[in-house]
Amino acid sequence: MYAAVVATKLFVVGAANPQTGLHYQHPSGDTVWQHTGPNNIRAFGCAVHPGSQQRVLYIAAGNGLHKSSDGGATWKVTTGWNITEVLSVSPDPRDPLRVYIGTPYGVFRTTDGCATWKECSQGLGARFVSLVLASPLNDREVYCATEDGAYISKDGADTWTRMGLSVGGVRTIAQHPRNPQILAAGTEDHGIYMSTNGGRWWTRREAGVDHLTFYAVTFDPNAPDVMYAGGYVTGIYKSTDAGQSWKRMNKGLNVLTFHTLAVDPRNSQRVYAGAYWGGVYRSENGGGEWTPLGPPDSQVWTLFIHP
Amino acid sequence: MTVRSLIIAVLLFGGLAATRAQSHADYLKHYSERARHIRSAFDTSTAASYYAIAARYASNNNIPLADSLFRVALREPRGDMFWMFPVIGAYLHGKDKMSPETRAVVRNAWKTYAPYRGDTENHWAMYYTTLYLAAEQWPGLPGSEWFNGKSSQENLEEAREYLIHWIRITTTIGQGEFDSPDYFPEYAISMCLLSEFAQDPLMRKRGQMMMDYFLADFGVEHLNGQYLGGFSRIYQPAVFTPLLSGASGFAYLYFGTGTEAETSAGPLPETPKARPPGESPWSGWVLLPSLSNYRPPEIVYNIATDRTTPYLHKERKRVRNVIRFGTEKNPPVYKQTYVTPEYGIGSLQGGLLQPIQQHTWSVRFTSGRPYTTIFGLHPYWSSYELGMFFPEELKPLIADVVASKGTYNNPDKWTGGSPYERTFQNRNTLLVLYDIEPGTMTEHIDGFFPGNLNERLIDSSGWIFCKAGSTYIGWYPLQEGEWLEERETPGQAKNVIGRPENLSQKQPVRNWRFRSHKLQNGYVIEVRSEREIGSFQKFVSVLRTRIPKAILTPGKVSVDYTSLSKDRMKFAFPDSRILNGKAVDLSATKLFEGPFLNAEVGSEKLTMTYKGAKRVYDFRTVTVTE
Repeated sequence: MYAAVVATKLFVVGAANPQTGLHYQHPSGDTVWQHTGPNNIRAFGCAVHPGSQQRVLYIAAGNGLHKSSDGGATWKVTTGWNITEVLSVSPDPRDPLRVYIGTPYGVFRTTDGCATWKECSQGLGARFVSLVLASPLNDREVYCATEDGAYISKDGADTWTRMGLSVGGVRTIAQHPRNPQILAAGTEDHGIYMSTNGGRWWTRREAGVDHLTFYAVTFDPNAPDVMYAGGYVTGIYKSTDAGQSWKRMNKGLNVLTFHTLAVDPRNSQRVYAGAYWGGVYRSENGGGEWTPLGPPDSQVWTLFIHP
Repeated sequence: MTVRSLIIAVLLFGGLAATRAQSHADYLKHYSERARHIRSAFDTSTAASYYAIAARYASNNNIPLADSLFRVALREPRGDMFWMFPVIGAYLHGKDKMSPETRAVVRNAWKTYAPYRGDTENHWAMYYTTLYLAAEQWPGLPGSEWFNGKSSQENLEEAREYLIHWIRITTTIGQGEFDSPDYFPEYAISMCLLSEFAQDPLMRKRGQMMMDYFLADFGVEHLNGQYLGGFSRIYQPAVFTPLLSGASGFAYLYFGTGTEAETSAGPLPETPKARPPGESPWSGWVLLPSLSNYRPPEIVYNIATDRTTPYLHKERKRVRNVIRFGTEKNPPVYKQTYVTPEYGIGSLQGGLLQPIQQHTWSVRFTSGRPYTTIFGLHPYWSSYELGMFFPEELKPLIADVVASKGTYNNPDKWTGGSPYERTFQNRNTLLVLYDIEPGTMTEHIDGFFPGNLNERLIDSSGWIFCKAGSTYIGWYPLQEGEWLEERETPGQAKNVIGRPENLSQKQPVRNWRFRSHKLQNGYVIEVRSEREIGSFQKFVSVLRTRIPKAILTPGKVSVDYTSLSKDRMKFAFPDSRILNGKAVDLSATKLFEGPFLNAEVGSEKLTMTYKGAKRVYDFRTVTVTE
């Protein structure tokens, strides 16, 4: 499992933040984090290129998109001065050379393994892109969460079309692991939305939900009717009926703001939650109880579990 | 040299330089003396400080010790671009003198320590300037030898490309982090290093030209070491004690001012005291420029110091990159400053132009150190403001910012812009209006008045009349308010938590705060000097009869005022400005316009003029003609 850590302690440029960057541990009960790659870079996102046997890793960071082609032994910033504050990264599951990144200045894409980058924001109403997601189910289908709604591209980010979710401040989008028509979105101030028709229509899910700002929504890869969500002082919500209703599962949590969630694809009971400040929490019983896992004092933006 | 003796020397030389007209030869001689004094505060230090190390190398003072200190300092690199520039500065001053072992330690640091590139314009100026210089120093290395995995050539090209892009933006639509008394050093140091150490003659030339550009930009709005007018960014201490800013150390070095003793001001208050070179991290930054071969052209010095004739200077800058809640990435900023021998009054148009540390308007004067300013603001904060400029999540952002800038959400803070504030300036008359939405943080406006003014009369006419030496300031509040004793805490001075509930009542009252709780609000400011209007009594009597007419209802806030100069100013919030019956079009403001600096928007040129001299900078051709 990989954790992208934006910052520790002081959130100020020039402060010593040596433990930021990419951390990892083996999800088989390991409790020790190891740091890989450059530190001090404000790591917002991380990913492993599917099919690379964890050789090709990415860190989306303030300094740009970092790439390792040797399992984290060496790294290179692949973007130049004109791409900055990379907030998310999503490699194309079908193409080892194609990667998408989301930034406050739009979506960028490489088709040559990060040698060159091209801005691909045509059709986006707002450039601020919180998250970009290449669909694992549909070829060349890409989603992005932006400041003025959720967008879909069916041509590999050449063009974008706004989906039916018209609220501002879409923070995250997740796709059902088996049914590409089912999408979930977390928003700023507008709660959790779900779509069952590929994003044309969306429904706000309010049953059991007492909060409005959600940064993370995820499906259990093995039991997709089980979902988790978290956001600004929300604690962690769980749904067992495909998002129809939600219940807070906060036992053991010392913090309530969460930015990222991940379910172990090998063990549905093992769930991880990345806190905005407070490191990673792990549950071994499907969210019934949470245990802090570190790294301490860290702002965890993205968790990624390699299957 | 001890810090105490250095202070005395600085005061002496500063005072001499500022009060005496001098030839360019004299200027250069005095410059060298000042630079030597700065250097002397560092080159005998045994601290493992990059500044001390650089000074030792430059002075050839115990090179083995400098080597040793350098290696110690590099054991734990930290500070991102604030690490990069002193390290490359120290290296460039000492590379031909240091031991091979020390050279190897320096080289290795650029391989193993990954600095964050930062998120502001000054960060990038430092990052890419120093990366450029480092890449030149170690050419031909593969990516495995650099912290970012890029080869020497890739780093060189990227840094060069960014610097040229940044110069182009700056000279076409203006800086985004403009006129910052506290961030001026970051640009000056970067360009100074580039102008001296770049191996590429064109880049070296660009460094020289940009250094001249920044010094002229500062110099034209400079008065006795103070930056004048409105600013993109300023820290709280320097907002009410102007000589505490980093720029003042550079005014001392380049203009011979900055720490001038004001004989008319009487004894200085016990605290805070001005920071001379060598006493603080800010002034430490002036060390590298003081070691440099760069010298400003005579015309820049003259523009910065000749205050024999009052003048109006206008300029256009740009808003920092807007990434949320806006359709335009870099909307324009309009600034104007009226400069006289005794005072300067300047303003930005208002609104949110920079996060956290904006200073929308001020009057600054030569008398009354250290509190040589009067200004006002709406102390506003919001996740909306931060979200406009920072990519992190909106709701936790305030807490994240407060962790390092503790005054941000302090209702008593003295810095920051507001979407509910607008200005209308006509030379030395300023109108400021507020139309604050109910429920906003906060529901009051504040005005800062120094406690050591010669006069602060609260007149029955409604005017507040102030006298600071030979500068007179009239402030007409459009709504009633209250006077609060302003206690200054060490916490506030250092930008850590200085919240009202933490204020010690044992702290002496140094200043005054005029607070008004009305949401539809404003004031009229008139400033004149003795030489402009005569006695203070005359200023009072003439102004007493000029009462602004205001409409102060929500959504309809306006003021109609005829100034001391008999100009009719009609101002309606937010942006209707009418002067003598004619609408004022701020969008017509050029990049620079005034008696000394002129540039068209988009031109990539700057023309400096002073008396019969003219100097034209063309950044497209990288040439300077006279």
